[in-house]
Amino acid sequence: MNPVRLLFVLAVALPVAAFWPRGQDPAGADWQKDVDNACRAQRYGMRLAAGRKVAAAGDAAVPAIRAFAKQHGDEQIPMTLVELIAEDRAAGPLTLALLRDWSERREFYWRGSAMRGLALRGPRVGADEQAELRTRFQRFHQDDAWLMRTHARLGSVLLGERSVLGLPEQDPRARTRLHAQLLLQGVVPPLQPLLDALADERTCLGIPWGQNSANEAHKALKQWLGEAHPLAKGGEFADTAAGIAALHEACAAKSGQTLTIPSVRRDEVSGLVGGLEFQSCKHGDLFVQWTDAGALWFGIDAGTSVQIPAARWQELSRERAALPLGGNLGVVICDSMRVKWTGPDVDVRVAPSALPVPVVDWLKRLAAAIEEAGAPRLAADLLEGLDQFAVR
Amino acid sequence: MFRPLALLGLCCLATDPVAVGFGKLAGFDYAEGMTLPGDVTALDEQVVEVRGFLRREVPGSGPLNSFLLVNDACGCTGTPKMNEIVFCTLPDGVTTDEKPGVVTVTGKLYVGEVKEDGVVLMLYQMDADSVK
Repeated sequence: MNPVRLLFVLAVALPVAAFWPRGQDPAGADWQKDVDNACRAQRYGMRLAAGRKVAAAGDAAVPAIRAFAKQHGDEQIPMTLVELIAEDRAAGPLTLALLRDWSERREFYWRGSAMRGLALRGPRVGADEQAELRTRFQRFHQDDAWLMRTHARLGSVLLGERSVLGLPEQDPRARTRLHAQLLLQGVVPPLQPLLDALADERTCLGIPWGQNSANEAHKALKQWLGEAHPLAKGGEFADTAAGIAALHEACAAKSGQTLTIPSVRRDEVSGLVGGLEFQSCKHGDLFVQWTDAGALWFGIDAGTSVQIPAARWQELSRERAALPLGGNLGVVICDSMRVKWTGPDVDVRVAPSALPVPVVDWLKRLAAAIEEAGAPRLAADLLEGLDQFAVR
Repeated sequence: MFRPLALLGLCCLATDPVAVGFGKLAGFDYAEGMTLPGDVTALDEQVVEVRGFLRREVPGSGPLNSFLLVNDACGCTGTPKMNEIVFCTLPDGVTTDEKPGVVTVTGKLYVGEVKEDGVVLMLYQMDADSVK
């Protein structure tokens, strides 16, 4: 280019660039508007479309996201946007920094999704970044929130640390998630946990979590098997057992792994009449169910139990029946508590800081009874979960 | 009950209304503009019942006239895709409370992309008659 013309272009362009509005990139995209739509559009489809656009923009849209969060608060950032950014895999420095910030902030509801974003980017970043991510993932391997620790472990395995697959895991949903996510990333883990998930019909407080895990496992297996899927060319299985057997055969043939056909798992504890569910992306989940006879079962799979003495349980049951509960309490964004029992029929969803004092007090007495029954750790877990939901 | 039958693409016995699971509705990788599977388009304008979890389209409180029906209890385990949501609307003046557990919604299902400004707003919509 002619030097004079170049100088003329610079003379015109520089002032224009200086006055270019924040949140708008040189291509003319108004990221502030798109971020606002991604977070606050009334229609889900609009939020999704805007979120995709923002996620695809990578670093260019990050200043607008931060500006939105600063103005409206982190809680106004929807999971949709964080998930879309996580999946897009743009790995510019601003995007990585945003995901790091979100994943570290215990108060950020979607930190597990942000951690997944880092995990998926691990194999694609440079050596220095990978070294930092390795340390970061390890730091969250035992996080209380199952999505957080699962995605941290995912990140480690994707960086080649397969020994992480051997870490203890109490939550069956986490086992399914980790193995399914690995398969979706083209890393073949031991497939037995996914086959086991296919045969899971367990529930908790009426929630068919086993079926949800089965669907998640099947989606991953279906994608990985491709044409080798038993139903790739249509048709139907004769029944559930036949379907699982066919998938077992296909998985064993493609992976070369020695796999066993799982038996269907159904709820093993009968007579459950009530319980509590704390779902917290911040602090981790807690599930408690009980029988009329005062047997308390902890865990989504009712894996641990404690027996409350009969007289104490009768007293607690009388108090519980008198508790003033009805309707839903507070506005739930992510974390929520559920209270469900019979006599009288109660099924209430509670937002953080919205559980009435009488119910909080009753749960504290329940925790005391659990401790006296010889399970102080379970009592402490209950009190810790309760803390987020007690009215303030 | 886990429904591997639906999960694996099996059909349920025909009843009125037709019981439809997310195994069928969400059992394919959806992309905008695609030709939907025949077993899904066959549900268009059928009276169906779908079990799932009720969610608000925007955060808030109070009774709902319209809501999303999804297959995820928590809402924390991923962003539902368009074929993982049934957009339900109750008759004018009818509302439901936000229910925490599994609900069964009955009504006429409409299958097909609904767009606004070129954006797909929904794939499955239902004129819901009841929420139980």
